[in-house]
Amino acid sequence: MSLKKFSELFGDLDSINSTNNKIEVLNNYFLSNDPIDNSWAIYLLTGKSNKRFISGRYLKNLFSQIYEYPQWLIDTCYLKVGDSAEVITLLLKNKTNSRKKKLSNISLNELLSETIPALSKLNEEDKNLEIKNIWETLPEDNHLIFNKILTGTFRVGVSIGLITKSISKLINIEEEIISHRLMGDFKPSIDSYEFLINKNINLQELNSKPFPFLLANTIEDKIFKNSINDFQFEWKYDGIRMQLIKRSGNVSLWTRGQELVNESFPELVEKMSHIKDDFVLDGELLVWNFKEQIAFDFSLLQKRINRKSPTRSIQIKYPIIFIAYDLLEINGRDIREIKLENRRIELEKYFSKWQIKTENNFSDIFKICDLIFPKDWPEALTYKEKSRENNTEGLIIKKKTSIYSSGRKKGIWWKYKVDPMQLDAVLIYAKGGSGRRAGLYTDYSFALWKDKELIKFASAYSGLTNIEIKELDKWIRKNTIEKFGPVRSLKPEMVFEISFEKIQISKRHKSGIAVRFPRITKWRKDKKINDADSLENAYELMKKIS
Amino acid sequence: MRTKQEYLIRYKDGNLYCELADIWIDPSKPVKKALITHAHFDHFTFGCEEYISTKETAILLKERVGDNIKIKTFEYGEEFKINGINISFHPSGHILGSSQIRFIFAEEKWLISGDFKLQKDQTCEQYEIVKTDYLISECTFGLPIFKWDESNKIANDISKWITNSPEKTSLLFCYSLGKAQRLLNEISQTNFKGNIYSHGSIHKMNNIYRELGIDIKDTIKIENKKKMDKLKGSLILLPPSLSKVSYLKNFKNIQTAFASGWMSIRALRKRSGYDKGFAISDHADWDGILEVVKKSEAKNVFFHHGDSEALSKYLVEKESINVLLFGK
Repeated sequence: MSLKKFSELFGDLDSINSTNNKIEVLNNYFLSNDPIDNSWAIYLLTGKSNKRFISGRYLKNLFSQIYEYPQWLIDTCYLKVGDSAEVITLLLKNKTNSRKKKLSNISLNELLSETIPALSKLNEEDKNLEIKNIWETLPEDNHLIFNKILTGTFRVGVSIGLITKSISKLINIEEEIISHRLMGDFKPSIDSYEFLINKNINLQELNSKPFPFLLANTIEDKIFKNSINDFQFEWKYDGIRMQLIKRSGNVSLWTRGQELVNESFPELVEKMSHIKDDFVLDGELLVWNFKEQIAFDFSLLQKRINRKSPTRSIQIKYPIIFIAYDLLEINGRDIREIKLENRRIELEKYFSKWQIKTENNFSDIFKICDLIFPKDWPEALTYKEKSRENNTEGLIIKKKTSIYSSGRKKGIWWKYKVDPMQLDAVLIYAKGGSGRRAGLYTDYSFALWKDKELIKFASAYSGLTNIEIKELDKWIRKNTIEKFGPVRSLKPEMVFEISFEKIQISKRHKSGIAVRFPRITKWRKDKKINDADSLENAYELMKKIS
Repeated sequence: MRTKQEYLIRYKDGNLYCELADIWIDPSKPVKKALITHAHFDHFTFGCEEYISTKETAILLKERVGDNIKIKTFEYGEEFKINGINISFHPSGHILGSSQIRFIFAEEKWLISGDFKLQKDQTCEQYEIVKTDYLISECTFGLPIFKWDESNKIANDISKWITNSPEKTSLLFCYSLGKAQRLLNEISQTNFKGNIYSHGSIHKMNNIYRELGIDIKDTIKIENKKKMDKLKGSLILLPPSLSKVSYLKNFKNIQTAFASGWMSIRALRKRSGYDKGFAISDHADWDGILEVVKKSEAKNVFFHHGDSEALSKYLVEKESINVLLFGK
């Protein structure tokens, strides 16, 4: 089956909005293609790998070299298109020799398992020649797919959830099972596709795989009408959600993004393997401040997550902890259908058993989450407000009778996040967006007053409506002071309310502060720039919190 | 080098103006004398004392402005004189009646391209290469990422789009004058044989085209709102202004598409809010603009209607053509 079919699938999925139609298109594809191509299609569509063989910049340079195209012209085009792979695809149009399309029947499998891996083994000169050769012998319809795979930017509106639904419909097996099969590493092969569409459910083969995660919804007012005693209260940690699994002696650690991360946290895997029972725990991984018994900032965790086989000194410098808040399976018994309050009893029971029995003390790396017991809703609110003191983001509220289902199920778990911090800031720079926002100025930088000067303190790009974005884009074009490449400096005139989650000292920024998750929450057209906040206000905010 | 004021044609109040003849080209404000390249709304205004255009443009213009306007018409290629300047219209291939306008004065030739395309279009005269010294060209799609496919390929894509979803009503949004008729003409040559409906504004233009001898397939005028939910499997042509929820909810089970050159870019397609985009344009693509610039043999080129920065730089660097800037 040819790559062309996959290109068509990509085009169809890209232009269909309805979920049912997408599923139909996917299933038609799966039914009419080889298992091996299907497995690659799933691999690509779900973003299992976004491995970058070459950068977008490299691709643009290469095109410029081969076809003697001015670099600045490609850059100008890029500003309009917002995606290197697509720019080059558009520029390649009608450029290539149509007579010798020897790659017109190449399959997705050949492309991904032979052609592209072979590229990375070549030296630069041969690699460039080979890419040129592929461009010129691959039918035009396939250029976008090829360029996107090369640059690792293959993204389309297909989620794991959609593939799950599609396969589930295809073979008529519950979504939970498919979702289970799709978790974690998915190596494209005939076997992996056939395993996915196997109509017989085999528990053994699912052994190391996590359960689909149950996610919390944003707090709803209606829950305050219920008795406080119906709920279990936990701190909402700002770490990485994970399932820690031990089955048949093997420990595996899975993120919610379905990655197996054993290699990043070997000390945890090692300690947990000494526990005699088998289990599946749901919890949070954090870098832990043992002295104060609170979590360190998320930025320290980032130093661990992307590092495989960390050295002993890294392990000491960034000590991790796994905080379990749920027990899903114990010694092969799936207890997700048991009520949360009873699962909690089991969790506590086993935790104390393990503490006594395990020779190798694990209290420095594993604990269960503490519960909070507010007397009434006002007190719950007080806890929430205090959450910044212990470096948490608020509360998680769980219905005591809830079973552990999957996805963002309504009406059982809620996150009650502490209100964001806010400052009013002045827009001073704008930069062209990429992808869907190409051609519009959508990346903004904001400043606060320091004496009579405006100092940049945060950049944000989310929070405005499409209509506001267009309106602001127009204003930006008319009020540009200077252009520096894609960036424009602007007349200070517009004030925006910027919300963020965390504020801390930073030596790397001119303002001396750094904020986390800054976003625009209001266009303050009612405010003049003199009404905007000062850096001093920001420092006060910081003091108030710590 | 001459100052801007000394050019035969220059920008005045944001419009093209020839002082020697005291005549404006496609003015956006009422003036005494207006040369009109074609009948799109952004190329004429109400209230001019006198309009001058081709015969087809005059008919379309009257439909839009009113019967009582004073309008003088000339054939393509027919020269007429104003204050000693020879002026003539030449086909620009944009829509029915659309023209380039050439001025000759004291052996100096000026050409205003109007909106133009080189692609084949059975609903209007093919673009004519006109030699000139000075060229004033549009450059709506003045970047090399714009390269049009043959229009019959796009028509086949549209046909497939409709027939692949027989359960749906397919709404295709397009400009009511020119694009709609070109699409109808092309679609009637594809495998799609279902019913085609068109909105009143498009229907009206279809009729004028037909009266002027252009082969346009019969369409059913969308009138009865009550029946609009029973149109599955058919194609409906609508102007882009109707692409809003309040209108679309009259239909059941729809898929929407927009036919425009901008739809060749994925980000714009996504942002447009239509399910699908068909990249078909009545403007020249990058290669088309370059071809016209070269074949016109113009030594001096001005651009307007578009982002001309990259195009100008390219012509100066790569083709050594003198690109001038208008003082707006």
